[in-house]
Order: sequence, then structure tokens, then C-alpha cells
Amino acid sequence: MIIDKELDRILKKVEKPARYIGGEVNSVIKNPADVSVRVGFAFPDTYEIGMSYMGLQILYNILNKNPDIYCERIFAPAPDMEKIMREEGRKLFTLETFTPIDEMDIIGFTLQYEMAFTNILNMLDLGGVPVKSCDRGEDDPIVAAGGPCAYNPEPLADFVDMFIIGDGEELLEQVALMRAEYSSREEYLRACSQLDGIYIPAFYDVKYNDDGTVKEYVKLYDKAPDRVRRAVVTDLDSAEFPTENIVPFIDTVHDRAVVETFRGCTRGCRFCQAGMIYRPVRERRPDTIKEIVREQLKNTGHEELSLLSLSTSDYSRFEDLAMDLMGMCKAQNVSLSLPSLRLDSFSFNVLNEIQGYRKSGLTFAPEAGSQRLRDVINKNITEENIYSAVEQAIELGWETIKLYFMDGLPGETFEDLDGIANIARNILDINFRIRGRKGGRFRVTVSVSNFVPKAHTPFQWAGQDRPEMLREKHNYLSERLHVKGITFNYHETETSNLEAIIARGDRKVGKLIYRAWQLGCRFDAWTEHHRGDLWQQAMDETGVTPEFYAYRERSYDEMLPWEIIDPLIERDFLIRENEKAKEAQVTHDCRLGCVGCGMNKHAQCFHSADEDMLKHIGKEAASG
Amino acid sequence: MAKYLMEFSKRGTICYTSHLDMMRLFQRIFKRAGIGLAFSQGFNPHPKMSFAQPLSLGYEGMEEFIEFETAVDINPDEIFAKVSAIMADGIDIKYCKYLNTGSRTLSAMTVAALYTARVPAAEPLDGEMLVKEYLEQEKIITLKRQKKKKELKEVDIKPMIQRLNFSWSEGVLTMRMLLDQGSTSNLSPELVLNTFLPFAGIDADRSEITMTREKIIFSNPEITEQ
Repeated sequence: MIIDKELDRILKKVEKPARYIGGEVNSVIKNPADVSVRVGFAFPDTYEIGMSYMGLQILYNILNKNPDIYCERIFAPAPDMEKIMREEGRKLFTLETFTPIDEMDIIGFTLQYEMAFTNILNMLDLGGVPVKSCDRGEDDPIVAAGGPCAYNPEPLADFVDMFIIGDGEELLEQVALMRAEYSSREEYLRACSQLDGIYIPAFYDVKYNDDGTVKEYVKLYDKAPDRVRRAVVTDLDSAEFPTENIVPFIDTVHDRAVVETFRGCTRGCRFCQAGMIYRPVRERRPDTIKEIVREQLKNTGHEELSLLSLSTSDYSRFEDLAMDLMGMCKAQNVSLSLPSLRLDSFSFNVLNEIQGYRKSGLTFAPEAGSQRLRDVINKNITEENIYSAVEQAIELGWETIKLYFMDGLPGETFEDLDGIANIARNILDINFRIRGRKGGRFRVTVSVSNFVPKAHTPFQWAGQDRPEMLREKHNYLSERLHVKGITFNYHETETSNLEAIIARGDRKVGKLIYRAWQLGCRFDAWTEHHRGDLWQQAMDETGVTPEFYAYRERSYDEMLPWEIIDPLIERDFLIRENEKAKEAQVTHDCRLGCVGCGMNKHAQCFHSADEDMLKHIGKEAASG
Repeated sequence: MAKYLMEFSKRGTICYTSHLDMMRLFQRIFKRAGIGLAFSQGFNPHPKMSFAQPLSLGYEGMEEFIEFETAVDINPDEIFAKVSAIMADGIDIKYCKYLNTGSRTLSAMTVAALYTARVPAAEPLDGEMLVKEYLEQEKIITLKRQKKKKELKEVDIKPMIQRLNFSWSEGVLTMRMLLDQGSTSNLSPELVLNTFLPFAGIDADRSEITMTREKIIFSNPEITEQ
């Protein structure tokens, strides 16, 4: 690709210029004149993070297979690049053809985390696209957005023309092609609004009660749906999956071959949004997976393979698959990495063989310190599960154990926090018992993140702990975890607080995001760029308070802003789960029998899975 | 086991990738091409493959070299064809041939390299005169960052400059410099720029200057003969 002198000069001044040059192996070059629709797929963070996200590769592949569509990538420039671009008046451009993004027909943002939202506004602005939907004209691109955070689209309602809710594999291509059929934006958006999974915020006016809660949604286009049903790919096995992944030149967060083994999760943890919005469980068949692996390794030359799902070892034919993949990898000098393993349902010997002598850390996510609180959140894992797994791990030579917990969970007491410290200490004791007084270089790392209530989960009504309380809890834990051999990390209170405001925000939160961006907030997920003072100023100026959005417990009578979206999980189920949480009652894994979330009215649960094996794994998990 | 040498050029936007990026790129290309590299022994086996000299980020390279070993003997023409077919844009493979240099690496045989810098200079300059005056200095002192200590240290770069010539045409000063390169004595062209530009009174921003490595000189030049 030939670039102009000006850009060449800019690239000589910035850090990691390879972030901005495209041209990687398997990136797609087309003549823009040959297609009818140009789509810019935008990831609102830097190249290294965006390129590690599999969804980008999936959708890039699907769109570019279509000869009528050209999909190009757009990432947020790092602050040094942004500064120079603004000084030189250079618009944000696509990596494939260096085209200014305002020349795209559609710009589609993926919403993976709330703290990237200011980057979206900034990228539009840098690309010469009016930041607010209402200011866009016929010549401007359609700004679309999808991904998990689109399940509460309202904080971005002022900036996004069209939300794509749910699985994008089929829907995105469909709406991309439709763009060529309509000359006017309005007509196009109207047509799209008739599809499942498409939410056009401009077609609704939100009325509020005096107390600030939502009163009602008034439709401004009478054919717009009352609620927008999410799009579901019912058969994952036949869904497209890329085998010619783009291979970055530079080191990215995850730089490896990846296959999604299944979508959805049966465990029903009550805090987990992914566990709700990706239902039902749909698997890819082992042969399909192996074929994808073969092709991907052949086409990329990657030295690592990873499996993607919410809980790797819950795949119905997991052990067989792991063994087969291990064989394939060994033969090609490729290392196999298995993230999100639940060691309660997994043979240690397999893991041992995979990792060989190079043992990276083992990770457990008990999430809560006491059995009572684990029952509250429906995390069906017992301390015995953890200890027996740790014992085996130590015997097999592992030297680092990582533990993930949350604090600020609904109904949490300081006794539950004691539980966190006890688990960490007990693990140290197990190591001493097995390896003697000195215990080797053994380390336990305890990471505690602050609970953020999320939309469409049983805890969507819960109040978040106030910052004072979270800090007190962090201090309490720090004291108890100040032990040789234990490392304690916790998340910043301020960001969790902001995340809670946005995650359950309504359209008024859009004003906060806009103001924060105007004040200069960008890359809010990056500790070094996060500007708490500016966010505070924006809150003061817009009247958006954490009191109302983060700390407040909602009542079941309240209409929640995100209920304009129908996740196909029934509200009654979420209420039932929330009530059971209050009584610390567990709900069993739904592989052992339907728990009535309502999903099976819309799609087949366990599509392509070996159901006998599923039940078997479910039982094992339930009995520990 | 067989050892090979491959010549290539690196031009265009791909010049913004680093030496490490290039290592990764070539490794993956070999893998994709189905060319099994030989691996070193030990706890952390790595493929036997290395460049004659790292090329700085942002530099073009016209005659670059990579050497590698394969697990089984493969015809060099076959390697050339397979690698060329899937190589990233901007890297042109020129040829691939057997390398019979025993255990000496290309890097150990590197003695010098020829660089060209193109510097914008609006006013016509007398190249010959400038070179003469610049090289007539008793010492050419500049600061160089130490590899291990990371501290700046004064060095005299004059003995490491083998040849310099400058020409001016249509607003561009072209500097050609033959500099020591390799493990015994190594001079970065950046240091020549840093000392020469102020000496000549040329006020050009580094981002305006393009750098090309034209050639790598080996102690036994016949190894790159086809």
C-alpha cells in the first residue's frame, strides 16, 4: 500500500507506527469501486486490544466474503497519534485503504466494555462524522453499534443511529446489504427497524417520572417494535467462523489462533451478564472445530491455539476434543491454551500433559469467600472442589495459583471477606503440607474486582456498594492478606463506580459521556489515562449522580431503561433468581433440567451437543 | 538439516514494523509455507533463523538477508517459490540458496553497511565541501546510549565512518554513508545525522528524513553471490 508523504511523516513521529499501517497477512484488499457498501468495523480502543478480539475477525471475514461489501478496520489512535492528527488536520482512517472514515457507508462499533464509550465519540469526531445522530445528514455514514454493552444501548442513544442486538453473524451482513437499497437514511433505518435485533433509538421518545425513573417509551415511528428482540444464531455449527485470520505484525494482547467451541453457559451465575445474554448453549461439533483449527493454523502460522467459550471444560465432548487438539498441536509445535477451565469437571492429567514442564499459573474463580455468598450468587463451586484441585496441582508441580473474587456482592458481610483470606491461607497451608516447611517458590495471587450490577441479570435491580464501603473492604482484605506468599490486587473503586453508572444508565447518561469527552476523557479503561477529576466535573455539570444510577436499589415496579431490549430471557425468571439469591438458595445447572428462563421458547437449547455427556458433566459439577 | 540464505527487500509501510515483528513474521510465513525450521535444543526451543543485521524501525532495506536452517533438506527454489507466494506486501524475496559457512553466522560476518538518508534542504548545498569539512574535524563527538548501563556516553564516531558522500538536487540532500556495522564496531547512521545536520546548519525534523539501507557488506562477499 502506498501512503502519502504527510501520513508517512506522521508515522515517523508516533509510538508503534505499525498500529496504523494495516497490510498484515490475510488482511483484505479490495477495490472500493467494486463494491456497493463500505463498512468500517470500529473497535474503540487501540490496535493491540482490538486485534485480540475474535468478534472482529468473525465479522470481518463474513462481510468480506461478500463481493458487494468491503469491510475495513478502524481503531482508536493512541493519545500521541491523536494529538498529531488533530494538529495536522488528518482524519481518522481505515487500515485497509487509509480512507477517511466519514467516507464509509456504515461505521459499526463493537461495545465490549463501558469504559471505551468516550473513545467512540472521539473516533467519530476525529473522522469528521458528527458525534450526535441528530446532526448527521444524508452524506454521513450510518453509525451502528453491537456487542454485549449494546444490551443496554441507552447511554449511547444520542450517538448511535442503529444498534445491533445479539448474534451478528447473519444480521450484520443483511443490514449492510440493505444500505445499498435505500438512498435516504430515514427509509433505511425504518426498513432495518423491522428486523429482529435492530434498535433505532430515534424512533422512540423516552418520558421520565418526576423521580427521574423511566415512565414510558413513546414510539415516533408506529411500525417500530414495542420491544426489540435480540438476534439469535440458532445453529452455531453451521455459522461462519474465520480460518484466514488477520495475523498482526506487532505484538497484540492475544496473538493466536482461536476457535469458539460453544456459545452460552448453563451455570446461571446471577451476576454474570454473558451467562444470560448468550443463552442458549449452542455447540460446534468436534469435527467442525478440528477442521477450523487445521485451516487456521495452516493459514496463519500461529504458534498458539486457544479455545473460546464462557467455560471451556463445559463443552460436552471436552476431554476427547482436548486430547485430539493436543495431538494436532504437538505435531506442529503449537502450544494449546485452555482458558476459563473449571477444574471441578476436568481431568488434571490432560492439563498436565498440555502444559508439560512449562507450567503457567492455575486460575480459580470462586468469586465469593463463603459458601453462603457463593450460594447467593449461584456460583456452584465448593471449597472442597478448590482444595482438592489445588492439592493435585501442587503435586503435579504448579507453583502459582490465582484466585478471582468479587467484593461488594449483594448481601456481602465482612465475614464473607474473611472467607477470601481463609481460602488463600488454606492454599498456602496445603502447599506447606505437601512440599514441606519451605514450600518452594509457591505463590497465591488474590485478585478482587468490585461488583458492578449489569443489565439483564438477576442482580440488575441491586445497588452497588458506595466507594467508602468498597475502600473499607479493600483495606480489610489488605490487612488479612498481608502474608508472605500471597499477592493481593484489587480494582480501582472509581472506575467500577463509573462503570456501574453507565452499565445501567438511561439516555440522560449520554449527556454525562458527552460532557466527559468534551472535557478530554479518553481511554477511561487505562489507569494512566483515566481522569476521575474530569468525570466528577462532568457529573456535577450534568446532574447525573452515582446515587441514582449506581447505589440505588431498583424496585420490580420500575421500568428499566434497557427493557426496550428483549433478551429472550424472561423478567419473571430474573425476579425469581433475585429472590432466591436473597434466601441464599441455589438454582441447579440447567443441563440437569430446565430452570425456566424462557430461552427454549425461541431457540433449541444444547444444539449440536452430546446431551448425555452434558448431563454427565452437569452432575459431576453439581456433586463436586 | 540444511542451511539457507535468502535475500529480500523491505519497502513501503511495512518499514514501520520492528526487528522483532519481522522475526515473528518470517517464522509464521515459514510455518504457513510448510517449511519446517530446525529448532534449538533446550527448555525453550526456538527456530534457527536470524537476520544478518536488524533493520531499524522506519528504515527501508534494499538488500537484506536472512539465514535459516530447516529440519529436512528442501530445494532452495521451492522455498523461494513457497515463501514468495504468501509473503506480506512490501517484502520482496529475491532468491534463496544454500549457505555453506559452517557455524559462522551472517551477523558475525557483517563488517559494514551502506545507508542513504534523504534530507529536505531548500537551499543548494556544496556536498563535496561539506563532507570535507565535516571529516576534517579531528574528532566527531556525539552521545551514544550504552547497551547495558543505558547511560549516555561520549563517543568519537569518526573512525567508524568508512566513506561519506553528499549530493544536493531539487530540495533534497542525499547522504550516502558507508559505516562500520557488526559485532566489533558498529555505527548507527542516526549518529551521523545527529552530528552532520547541525554541523551543516541544516534544520530538518527527523520525521522529514527517509532512511534506506542499500547494502550490507560481509567479510567474505562471495556468500551472497548467486
